[in-house]
Amino acid sequence: MCTCHTFIFLCYYEYNCDREQSKMSADDVTKGVACTLKPPVFLHFGGGDSKTQGCCSGVCVIDVALPPGKTIETITFKNFYTALVSVRLQRRSPGQEGAAAKWCTALRDRPLMTNPHTEAGAQDYYSIDRKQMQVEPDGVSSIRLILKQPSSAWLTFSVQDVRIFPRMQPVRKGRIDELSDWLLLVFPPQDPLDVASVSCRLQQMWALSQVMQSSQSHAASVGRFDVDGCYDINLLSLT
Amino acid sequence: MADREKRRSAGSGSCLAATVAEPGPATKGSDREFLSQAGVGELLRGALLKMVEARPDDPVGFLADHFGSLAAAVVESGSEDLKEPRLSDGSSGDEGARGARAQQRLNRALWHLRLAHHSQRSAFGNNVRVAYDLLSLTGPFGHAGDSSPAGAPGGGVSGALYTQTLRCLCGEGGVPASTSAPLLCRLHCHDHEAVPYGVFRHGVLTCAVFSDYIRQAQRLYAQVCQPDEGPASRAACLAVLGALREALETSRDADSPSVKALRRLEASAKMSPHQLARVMTEAQARGPAGHMDAKEFENAAAELFIARVKVVS
Repeated sequence: MCTCHTFIFLCYYEYNCDREQSKMSADDVTKGVACTLKPPVFLHFGGGDSKTQGCCSGVCVIDVALPPGKTIETITFKNFYTALVSVRLQRRSPGQEGAAAKWCTALRDRPLMTNPHTEAGAQDYYSIDRKQMQVEPDGVSSIRLILKQPSSAWLTFSVQDVRIFPRMQPVRKGRIDELSDWLLLVFPPQDPLDVASVSCRLQQMWALSQVMQSSQSHAASVGRFDVDGCYDINLLSLT
Repeated sequence: MADREKRRSAGSGSCLAATVAEPGPATKGSDREFLSQAGVGELLRGALLKMVEARPDDPVGFLADHFGSLAAAVVESGSEDLKEPRLSDGSSGDEGARGARAQQRLNRALWHLRLAHHSQRSAFGNNVRVAYDLLSLTGPFGHAGDSSPAGAPGGGVSGALYTQTLRCLCGEGGVPASTSAPLLCRLHCHDHEAVPYGVFRHGVLTCAVFSDYIRQAQRLYAQVCQPDEGPASRAACLAVLGALREALETSRDADSPSVKALRRLEASAKMSPHQLARVMTEAQARGPAGHMDAKEFENAAAELFIARVKVVS
């Protein structure tokens, strides 16, 4: 129907304009935000003397710097023999640009390997969604991943291929809504037929006919010999 | 007070021997003995099992019918025991009695068939078996002498009884006779034929499914027509029926299970809401004008179903 098509075309056009204006590229969504990973810092203890190297404590910290003010949807990475991961975020709330950014814990000790000594989960891919985080990851300027591996079985541990995916900005309201309201005034909607329930009922009817067809494949026959009401000479036996 | 003894042949279940003795002190022991002698436990257990299977809306009426049919079975087998073999008896009185008994058996068979819905496979199957046994020869021992047209001894249900059963089932399911007539033509068996169990079961199941199908078609018509606009638009009805026809044709018989599964997926895609919406908007733009009334819609839907029923041979 031409009204629907016109409406859809106008919406699409508006949406594209909006998308360009929000400065979000397709790359952000598919490959993640461009972020810089600092080299992992392994924490050691003992070794107050800078010359002697202390024991490895099994904790490693990776800092990830982001362009400021990002809203995070998902963090994905590939594990490499890390047993537990914690995520801390440095956030700056949007109203207080001048105030110092605060660190908070988004995720504490999420297990990646069921048993730190064994191989299970050691090289798996993981993703951390914003719903799993204890704080809202909005206005994030920096992420700190704290990796822990208490087992001495592994020489080293880290995470690889860390990607941060931002949240898609909702389409800016206002222009689209005004347009749709106007279109609805000009072309009122017709035919509020409940297609879903009609489809449901059709499927029930189809299923009933299938029941009948499946039972008929098992049906015996009465054993008639006549074809169209008369006996076929070839079927009559001579004995 | 007279002692009354009711004894019946061991045809199908417990014996109902109730001896009324002179009244004595009602001790617990004698009560329990009396109940076990009467076989009341079996009776009640059977009644409760049937009730759970059928889940009727009117439990008292259901129990009354159940015990009534049991009593009728007792009377019938009792009366046949008493009568002598009537090989050459052709009096009209007996014909009338036989006709009445046949009608009674038909009613009882229909009552059994109504107990469970066809979707409850095992319960329905059991009921069909019971109905079949009721309608085929008089009792499982094939009493000689009942010269009603019941086919060869040990055969099956007579074609006439079978066709009558199907007709009653369709009628009770709310299908008008004109709509079910083509179906009965396909499932029909001649009066002289002995219908085996497989054919009987298939016929009964098809009629039960058909009555459900017609009910769904009636509701579908109610959905398709806009309530305040009177009869539904012809274009919309044709579009909906066309979708169903395509789905039925897509899922025709397939040999291998994988092909069957594929065809079922294709069929369900043809009935999806998206496809339906598309088809209906096209129909409204280009379809024939005018309206279709409920009867025509029902007949068209019935035709789609009946076209897929194989003729009994």
